[in-house]
Amino acid sequence: MNLIKIIDKLRTKTVKKFAYGLLVLLILVDFIIPRPEIHFFGDKIPGFWSLFGFISCALIIVVSKWLGQHWLMRDEDYYDK
Amino acid sequence: MRIIMISEMFNIEFFHPSAYYIIGGLLIPLLKGRIKQGFMLLLTLLAFFAVVNMPLGVYGVYEFLNWELTFGHVDKLSKVFAYIFTIMGVIGIIYSIHVKNDGEHLAAFYYIGGSLGVIFAGDFLTLFLFWEIMAFSSVFLVWYRKIPSSVDSGFRYLLWHVVGGLILFSGIMIQYSVSGDLSIQYLPFHGWYPTDLQSVATFLILIGFIVNAAVPPLGAWLPDAYSAATVTGAVFMSAFTTKTAVYALIRVCSGSEILIVLGVVMAIYGVVYAVLENDVRRLLAYHIISQVGYMVTGVGLGTQMAINGVVAHAFCHILYKSLLFMGTGSVLYATGTAKLSELGGLYKTMPRTMIYTIIGGLAISAFPLFSGFVSKSMTVAALGEEHYTWAFMGLMLASAGTFLHTGLKVPYFIWFGRDRGIKAKEPPWNMELAMIIGSLFCIGLGIFYKPLYALLPYTVHFEPYTAYHTWETLQILLFTQLGFFLLLKKLWCENTISMDTDWFPRKGAKVFMWFINKPLASLEINIIGEVYEFIVQKPILRMARWFKWVDTFIVDRTFSILANLTLLWSRKLQAIQSGQIQHYAMIMVAGVLTLILIGIILP
Repeated sequence: MNLIKIIDKLRTKTVKKFAYGLLVLLILVDFIIPRPEIHFFGDKIPGFWSLFGFISCALIIVVSKWLGQHWLMRDEDYYDK
Repeated sequence: MRIIMISEMFNIEFFHPSAYYIIGGLLIPLLKGRIKQGFMLLLTLLAFFAVVNMPLGVYGVYEFLNWELTFGHVDKLSKVFAYIFTIMGVIGIIYSIHVKNDGEHLAAFYYIGGSLGVIFAGDFLTLFLFWEIMAFSSVFLVWYRKIPSSVDSGFRYLLWHVVGGLILFSGIMIQYSVSGDLSIQYLPFHGWYPTDLQSVATFLILIGFIVNAAVPPLGAWLPDAYSAATVTGAVFMSAFTTKTAVYALIRVCSGSEILIVLGVVMAIYGVVYAVLENDVRRLLAYHIISQVGYMVTGVGLGTQMAINGVVAHAFCHILYKSLLFMGTGSVLYATGTAKLSELGGLYKTMPRTMIYTIIGGLAISAFPLFSGFVSKSMTVAALGEEHYTWAFMGLMLASAGTFLHTGLKVPYFIWFGRDRGIKAKEPPWNMELAMIIGSLFCIGLGIFYKPLYALLPYTVHFEPYTAYHTWETLQILLFTQLGFFLLLKKLWCENTISMDTDWFPRKGAKVFMWFINKPLASLEINIIGEVYEFIVQKPILRMARWFKWVDTFIVDRTFSILANLTLLWSRKLQAIQSGQIQHYAMIMVAGVLTLILIGIILP
């Protein structure tokens, strides 16, 4: 089916490189973008939200997994015991 | 073109859309096959057009005992919720139209009818009535899954809602005793705890609402029940209960500062649990909690812009969340499992379902050109304008988490990840049609957002597509994606469940039963039993013996003496019974003379 072929084509190294290029572009453009509304310090720093996004993602994964493994996660039949 | 409505035929202005669901729904079991399917679809469409044609105002006021019940309080706020509820009714019924079980259809119809009843209620009693109809009908959407765990989940769901309902009802009663008025009023709760009777009423009403909004620690029922519901039932449930609660919070409690804190906690809490979840519908359920957190925060802020944002977000949320539940429900329908640890590689067999689900994922993540972007940003920007920087940052953090799970983790582990060679195929045409409609809404609202903004309760002075805001969002989302692929190894799911606050009732119930069976039972036998025998049983026996003695020696003997005396007396009287009439006449005359003598002498 065509749809499957398109998805297969998107799963190549070239697409991956293109995606990395896009990330660099995101930060570069952030240097020249107009900033009409400044609510707090982060709004003034170019690339702030890139860093924020990356750190948030890492924090959520690491902290949640830590909480899960040390405290919250149980076997599936935990409540039946 | 004007559509002629039943309400116009009967020449009444207001026709309650719940009537189509609650009264019309009763006919469903009487019909069969295509006619039934057509009839159900017709009812949902009629309900939608009833809302379209509905004028603002107050209708359906009835006297009941001493109270005035208002069934049709229509303003811009209730109308926009009615729009989305009836649209969702159409989509949900299309998705579930193949279901053979009439009971499931009836449950869904009553559930939707109940939620429409709540948003048009003008007084607390009517609100409470429909509030309970929702709880008691939606539980059947869980039970009809007909597996043991769903029966248990259903009972837990019902218990949470009965308790929440009772708290709400006690709040309503106190409110009535304080103000003597049952009409729904604006009752914001200020501070952290109640100080006087009025604030106790407000506090209890607030608690009743936030149980249904699934605010932690009172929201553990949501992932429990929604992951246990039927494929189609979960789609309905994802839409109505929490959003009805958001509506009630806006109407009654907007501007209650406590909600800002609860909302931000909620938004992050849902995201944290979503990392740990293996069951994809539980994961999505935690994202409902997270998304409703945005709305609760906005309600707590309570400015016009925030309320607009909340309403717009509720509108978009119902569409993308139901789309996500439809997509993952289709996977459950096709493969029989919703566990990420058992899924993978489905893009070869269910690619179209994947596309719909990803559209839902991009919409919930607030990607530019998708519906979440035009709604979520309004609430968040309202926080920025009021300089709640910590809340603003908390919600931004949660939005990274939203994309991480719904936009990336769910599609990745279902459709890519490890190919488990599952044989599956795309769902039936009606399920796919519902997903197509949902997808069109998610994209359409992201591009043509003006009509939605026009429906909001206040005039909108907000433009979502500014260069900076678009760029800010793109940076957060795409760098989240980078983080996802770098940390992918950490995200593989294990076959586990996570403890939530329902640990307290669930394990607490076990502890309670153990307490009853072990210490309390032995206490009963060994101590209370002994004490009872010594203090109660023995004295009673002693007293009984005394009564027995009294009975034989005093009561019985008295009677036998009386009997003997009567016998003796009778024998004496026998002497005058001669059988001769003149003797009797003489005795009578003597008697009369005696009476006359007494009569003369005595006075």
